[in-house]
Parts: sequence; structure tokens; C-alpha cells
Amino acid sequence: MDKFKNKFIEEATDNIKDLEDSLLLIENDISNKDLIEKIFRSMHSLKGGGAMFGFSHLSDFTHNLENLYHLIREGKKTINRRILDVTLASIDHMKVLLTVDNVSDKSIKLRHGDLIQQVLDIIEGTNDIGIDSGNKENLNQQNSIKSYYIYFEPEQDVFKDGTNPLFLIDELHTIGTCKAFAHLNKVPEYHKYDVTNCYTYWEIIISTEEDVNSISDVFIFIEDQCKLEINEIADFDIFTSTIIIEQISALSQERNDVGVSNIQEIIKRNSIFDNNLEEIEKAIARSGPLPSVKENVISSIRVSSSKLDQLMNLVSELVTTQARLTLFAEKSGDSELLSISENIQKLSRQLRDNAFDIVLIPIETMLTRFQRLVRDLSKELNKNVIFVAEGADTELDKTIIESLTDPLLHILRNCIDHGIESPETRKKLNKPEQGTIILKAFYSGANVHIQIHDDGAGIDINKIKEKAVQKGLIQNDTILNKKEILDIVFLPGFSTVENVTGVSGRGVGMDVVKRKLAEIRGEVELDTEINVGTTLTIKLPLTLSIIDGLLVKIDNKRYVLPLSVVDKIFVTEHQNVVNKYNNLIILDGDQIPFYYLREEFDLPEGTQESEQVVVVAYEDRKVGLVVDEVEGEYQAVLKTLGKIYKKQEMISGATILGDGTVALVLDTNKIINKFSQVNLNIKNKEI
Amino acid sequence: MANETLTNINSYLSFNLGEEEFATHVSKVLNILERTEITEVPRSPDYMKGVINLRGTVLPVIDTRIKFGMTPTEYTTNTCIVVMEVEMEGDTVHVGALVDSVQAVLELEDSQIQPPPSIGSKYKSEFIYGMAKNNEKFIMLLNMEKVFSSDEIVSIKEKTNEGENEIDKTITKE
Repeated sequence: MDKFKNKFIEEATDNIKDLEDSLLLIENDISNKDLIEKIFRSMHSLKGGGAMFGFSHLSDFTHNLENLYHLIREGKKTINRRILDVTLASIDHMKVLLTVDNVSDKSIKLRHGDLIQQVLDIIEGTNDIGIDSGNKENLNQQNSIKSYYIYFEPEQDVFKDGTNPLFLIDELHTIGTCKAFAHLNKVPEYHKYDVTNCYTYWEIIISTEEDVNSISDVFIFIEDQCKLEINEIADFDIFTSTIIIEQISALSQERNDVGVSNIQEIIKRNSIFDNNLEEIEKAIARSGPLPSVKENVISSIRVSSSKLDQLMNLVSELVTTQARLTLFAEKSGDSELLSISENIQKLSRQLRDNAFDIVLIPIETMLTRFQRLVRDLSKELNKNVIFVAEGADTELDKTIIESLTDPLLHILRNCIDHGIESPETRKKLNKPEQGTIILKAFYSGANVHIQIHDDGAGIDINKIKEKAVQKGLIQNDTILNKKEILDIVFLPGFSTVENVTGVSGRGVGMDVVKRKLAEIRGEVELDTEINVGTTLTIKLPLTLSIIDGLLVKIDNKRYVLPLSVVDKIFVTEHQNVVNKYNNLIILDGDQIPFYYLREEFDLPEGTQESEQVVVVAYEDRKVGLVVDEVEGEYQAVLKTLGKIYKKQEMISGATILGDGTVALVLDTNKIINKFSQVNLNIKNKEI
Repeated sequence: MANETLTNINSYLSFNLGEEEFATHVSKVLNILERTEITEVPRSPDYMKGVINLRGTVLPVIDTRIKFGMTPTEYTTNTCIVVMEVEMEGDTVHVGALVDSVQAVLELEDSQIQPPPSIGSKYKSEFIYGMAKNNEKFIMLLNMEKVFSSDEIVSIKEKTNEGENEIDKTITKE
């Protein structure tokens, strides 16, 4: 929930900024309808978001403002400076509201109420209040609240004229906040008591914008029949301070008369601490956002992605340069230089990790689109499908995420279109009517796996084979295992569904998905079971730009193998790897197929006596790659070979070594795949 | 703005491939490098010599002689890599071209440039957009976009693939 909240705050901050910009623009162009629309929209999304994520104060507050702009939008009001001032002040207040959970802080509370009142005032004013009078009224309102002490003792026969003193006190309540203390100590003993007489007198505290005259006007009809004293006791609203009121109440219960001097003393005593403080708070609240706002907003910033790319480039270059320095320091043997270079190595590694962390974004960012697609598409196709995402916080390089969205959308379309059956069919098959598509993302070593599983019809392997034969993709008598048959789906020009729908199956099929994923070094695998469902697994590298590699030498040229696929390294004799017919080698008691890379790269046969076999993981098997020499671990900053070499599949990129030469980074999966196909072809031809 | 100025000037960089002199417009030339160690890319077409490290970026290098149907470049002290900027499928890419030697920068007016000979040339004439006479010698003006264009690479690549298949067949025979 906190995650969502933070996301909302980020969004809201953007919204508020938009709002502010628009308001500043509209000041010069009051009748601009587009801007009003924009303001209204920003407010609306703030309100909606606020309500959704528990920022009820913000939501209520914005609701009020929205009402005002609704009137403006409808042309019932025109924007004037007062409205703008109040709105801008409100925006500042919104920023504060974003940072606090509830409006408990006194100054915020004050300001909150104040602003809401101002907005309501504007809405209620049927006619536009001119700029000047508006400001003046505003000014009066803020400054004129004063507090008075009233001593009111009617004469005993006041009832005889039909006057009820209580009505007068009620009337006082209408002109300001007011508290009355009734004193009954003049009530005589029972036998002297005359029910037609009034024995009660009152001490009243009132805080009001009105002046002394309007207070005494209340008592105008009984002026001659009562003892009336009106004293100003404070030039602010003493009801804002509960302490003062409490103390006065306590005093009034202790003794008969509180007396104006006592009250003044209480106020004086408290105002030093409380009211001055309050005044200051008030001033702070009015003068702008609290300093704490700024700190909170900057907890996350938006940076243009080009800047991030630049940062990544610089870090890559630093890593390359650092490799050079390390090499040089080792050569020179200078201990001081060595320690400096070691330090730089440590720092650049940390910097690299940090920079990588920055460009990683959670896959959550694309989920909304998927959710939407599933919802719309399943409706269109009259299917009942629910989309569930697991591991949405799994992070990937942003460039990977960007290129991942389209293939995933295509896969999801396939799931809904071909995978999930119609509710009726599902019912017949004893499946829940609602189909489920699960997107599961998780880390696996240096890779991220994304699995898309649907509980639909599954794919008929025999159908695939039939079709493949029909299309001439495979021979009729070719014997393939399940996995190999499923791989046919990824071949260009293959699609199992006969009827082309508007959704998917227009020829661009899984081969495009596979190609797109290959561009980001991703691999895709399919598993299916009839009537149980289909699972598609995508393996992706965490990042595209730097990999941990194993530096090897072949024919005096250096290559880098991704360390993530390397399992073991063996040493073997030269004659074990050359001129072997079956390309199998026994290591650790296991038969492992191997490729002599010199031969595969069309290089002359080596003359050395011992060869090194790097055993790498290939799909679920182990394959040996024979190289001349293993040099060690290396942090390879991946650089593309450029467009000219885009057809070169075996090489995933190049990296610059410490001595300035270029080493090629081998894509072991592609290499093995390619070589095994060549061998397969040869064998087929032999048959 | 800078580019406009560049295309408006009539300077051409001339270089030798074997005995013949070629030239290309200077607006395409970024750099002239001495030959450095070239990292070969396995299983790539012959004319794609490999890659070099150009100040931290990886630059593909093309053996222009092979591209033009000559014998492969033999390295001498004069061998240079001319770094050029060419358009490929809408993208600007940097490519290094191996040449036997770099000659000079020539000023050629448009009037001095003649159309290329249509027949009888031993070079792939689609790469040449004009001839110019300089010191009683003909210089062939190259269209670098054409030289490095993707179609050309594909056509040559196809040839190489055929070659591979032949190799495969020979292996099969064994």
C-alpha cells in the first residue's frame, strides 16, 4: 500500500506542478478555455487519486476547488485575481496535505479551514467581487477578529417588559464565537424568591469581527434596565486557544465573578506562550508551504532518460579506463600506484552498481497496459479472463523493459485469442468459467525470468508437426522430441490457427516475438499440455551494458564468455578434441558434447598440447567449448558491433580490454545452436 | 549549418587502392587513422575485416580492396583507416575503410566531374558516381553510401553463404 501511496504522491506532485503552471499562464489569459479545462482535469485527478489512496483531506479540499472551477468552466464565474490568489494559496496547501497523513497540526488545520472558507465564499458570491473589494474583504476578515468581555446584569424586573435575557445571549452567538457564564449567586433564599424576577447575571466572552457598537446594539432595548460593561480583552480570537477558555471556565466555577482583570491576566499569561506561537504558526501557514514539504518532495526526482544513458556511457568508459589503469599499475609494480588503482577499482565498481540500480525499473510499469489489454480483448472475444501478476517488483534495465512490452502484448493476445477457451467450452471441460493468465517474474542468477501461463486449451504437438510438414519446414520422417516440435512455433511463417482473426495470427507470429526478444538477448521457451494450459518462459539478462565475463584466448585473440553460463573448466589433451568424429568428450565421468572453437571459427588447428574446455549450460544440457587458454574473469562493458555486423549472430557484442584492444563477446547459446544445426544438416544429408 | 557548409564545398579526399586513385567527398570523412590491430570477427564475410577500438567505441573496419573486387589489402606503413560517416537504413553509422594510402585533399569543381564509364570497368561501377581528371590521371569519385549500403552487403553475404555450403558439402563427402 505504501508503494502505491508513494506513487500517488509522485503523480500528485506532478499534477500540482501542472496546476501551478496552468494557473500562472491563465493569469495573463483569463478566458483561455483550454487552460481552464486543464486546471479542472488536474484537480479532478488529484481529487480522485486522493480519495483512492486515503488522502481524504486533500480530496475534500480539492473537491471544493473543483466546484469553483466547475462554475468557471460553465461560464457562471470568471476568473479574477482573488480566485487566482486563493487557488495558488490552495495549491501550496495541497503540497502540505500531501506530506501529512491527517490534519492534526494546528497551523495546517487553521489554514485548511481558512482556505476552504475562502473558496466557499467565492462560490457563494453570486456576482463577481471586484479585485479591490475582494482583497479588502479578505484583509478585514483576517485581521479584525477581536475578543470582548461583557458583563451583563439585567435589573430584577426585566421580565416585566417581556424581555428574555437568554434571547440576547442567543443573539450574541450569531455575531461571533461566544461563551457565557451564568452566575446564580444573587438568587435569594427560597422564601424571598419571586419567580417573576430575574436574579441571574452573566459574564460573556465573545470573539467577533464586529466592533463594540454592534455588540452593544444587541442590548439596545434594555440599555436602561441593565448593568452592561463591554471591554476589549484581546485583539485576536481567544477561542483558538483552548487553554485560555479552560482556565476561564475553571475560574468561573471557583468564584462568583471572574472579572475582566482576571480574564485579561489569563490571556496575557497564555498568549506569551501559546498565542504568540499561534500567531507565528498562522504567519508561517499564510506565508507559504512549510519547509518540511520540500524535503519530502525531493525524495524522488524525474530525470530524462537521455541523461541516464549518458551516465551509463560514462560509467562504462570509466570501467574500461580503470581496467587500463589496473593493467598499467600491475606492470609498473609501484606499490603506491597499485593501492591507488585498487581504490579506483573499488570505487568504480560501486559506482557501476549504483548507476545500474538507477536504470533498473520494476516491470510493474508495464502491467497496467497488460491489464487493460486483457480486459478489453476478453470482452471483445466474449471470454472471461482474469490477469494476475506476480513479482511485479522485479526490476529490469529500462531499455529491456521498453523492448519487452510489445512481445509480451503479443504473447498475451495469443493467450486470450488461442489459449483461453470460451466460457461454454470451459464449462464442458469442467474448468472454472473464468480463465486465468498469470504473469510471473522472478530472478534466477544473473537473469530475470518472466513466465506467462494460461490455463487454456494448450497446443496440440501433433498439429504443429502436421503443419510443419505441410509447410515444408520439416521432413515427414524427422523424429523430434516435444521441445524441438514446440520450437517450430518460433520459426518464421508458422501459425497454427487456420482462421485469421483481427487480434492475432496475421502471419506475424511467434517468430517476431522471438526475434524481438533476441535483440535484447532474451530467450523464449514454450511448454504446453493439452487442456491444461501453456507456459511461455522468457529469460532475460538483468542489464544490457555490462556483464561479468570469462576472458579466453583462441588463436592469440581474446574472447569473452558470459560468466553466468559457465559451469566448469577442464584441461584436456589436444588429441582428445581434434579429428573426433562424434564430438564427445568424457569429463567427470559424463559424456559431454563439445565444439572445438578454432575449427568452428575457421581458424588453423592449434599446436599446443593441452586445451581447455569451458563447460557451459545450454538449455538443460551441458556443452563444452574448447579454447586455447582461459585468462580469467573480466568485467566486460558491452558495445554493439553496429549495424554492419547485425547478421553476425554468434557475437553478442564487443568489449575494450585494458590494453586498448577489442575482445568479442560470444553468445554461447547462439554458437551452440548454430553449430548443432550445421551438424544436424550434415547428418541428415548423410542419411 | 555546419553540414551545409561542408556539402557546399568541393573538397575531396583522395586515396589509393593499388595503382588506382579514388576520392570521396570530405563531408563523409571523420578521421584518418593509422592502421591499428584489428580484431577479426569469426565467420563474417571476407571484406569485413573486423573491429577496432576508436576512443572507446567499437568501429567496424571494411577492407575496401576486397569490396571492390581486388586482392586483400597487404599492410604497409602507408596503410590507413579512413573513418567515414554513412547512412545505413536511415541510421548514421561510422565505418572504417582500409586503404593503401591517403593522398591529398583536392578541390574539384562540378564542371570537372564527368559521368562514370558505363562498361569496361574492372570495378563495381555502381559505387562510382563520377570521374575527375587530375594531373593527367583519372580519379574515381566514390559514393560511400552505395559502397556500404546494406543491399551490397547482403548480396556479398549471399555469396559467402554459398561458399559455406560448399564447405559443408565437402565435409559431407569426407
